[in-house]
Amino acid sequence: MLLNTLELFDKTKKLDVYIAYKGIVRIDNIEELSVALRSQMAFDKLSQDTFRAVFSIFVELMENVKMHSAVPKGCIIVTSQDKIYHVQSGNLMETQNIEELKKRINHLNSMDKQSLRNYYMERIKKNNPNPRSRGAGIGLIEIAKRASEPVEYDFIPYDEHLTFFTAKVTINNDNIERGAV
Amino acid sequence: MAYFMEKVKTKSTPYVLIDEAKQYMKLEGDCFPDDTLEFFWDINKWLCEYLESGNYDKLTFDFELNYFNSSASKILFDMLEQMNEFSKNGKQAQVNWHVESGDSLLRELYEDFEEDFTDLKIILIEK
Repeated sequence: MLLNTLELFDKTKKLDVYIAYKGIVRIDNIEELSVALRSQMAFDKLSQDTFRAVFSIFVELMENVKMHSAVPKGCIIVTSQDKIYHVQSGNLMETQNIEELKKRINHLNSMDKQSLRNYYMERIKKNNPNPRSRGAGIGLIEIAKRASEPVEYDFIPYDEHLTFFTAKVTINNDNIERGAV
Repeated sequence: MAYFMEKVKTKSTPYVLIDEAKQYMKLEGDCFPDDTLEFFWDINKWLCEYLESGNYDKLTFDFELNYFNSSASKILFDMLEQMNEFSKNGKQAQVNWHVESGDSLLRELYEDFEEDFTDLKIILIEK
């Protein structure tokens, strides 16, 4: 099948797709995509904060897929439109773990920036009994701290054990001067 | 022989320099290693031995990470905590915390760390 590229170009008008990836997520893929994302964003007039927010949310979401996905594949999409960036990830996870994750995201979504800042320090100070659990949930706090809106998510039943988890994070940028063709 | 270690920067790991003779260490760049514990293993091991050896009374740490992921942040916090303990007994570790101007979250983190580690000298350097 040949995609109608004119239609794609025309219909998406103000939407720029920086990264759309589906496949194996290992460190080398994260590295390569992070280089691509960095060079894409170099064309935008971004504040340091906006750049860091998009970049770190992208890395945290990809690492989340790398560490927690039920299969070693996942999706990541980074777009910008009308001064708003979206970073969206998707991966399969064990259905038994979704309630815990839902609870954690809702908890973070209910906090304001100052509470997130305090909570981050609180969590970082805690001695983690299992060093292999890595970030000890700090990754999600990092995402919530940098996001401009509450983290959107969706859980779609996949089969008897697995659920497809999607997270969508919004980052506003008032300085962006790219987009319209 | 005083310990010396230098690691080149990669796409996911920072430049590392440890120069024990100069009582100096530096991390510079981005830090989201595949295995954070493994990446910091040598650095941490050296740091523990250095701080506990009793042979040194100071350490300078140039902290020039632009970005570090959440698992690295936990390890970095623990390293600073050790330096803070070291600085309690007439010894002094100093962290030069380099921040790109406009990076308000990294600046905030500096403020929180600075407040938390009362014996450690942390100096903000804006690039």
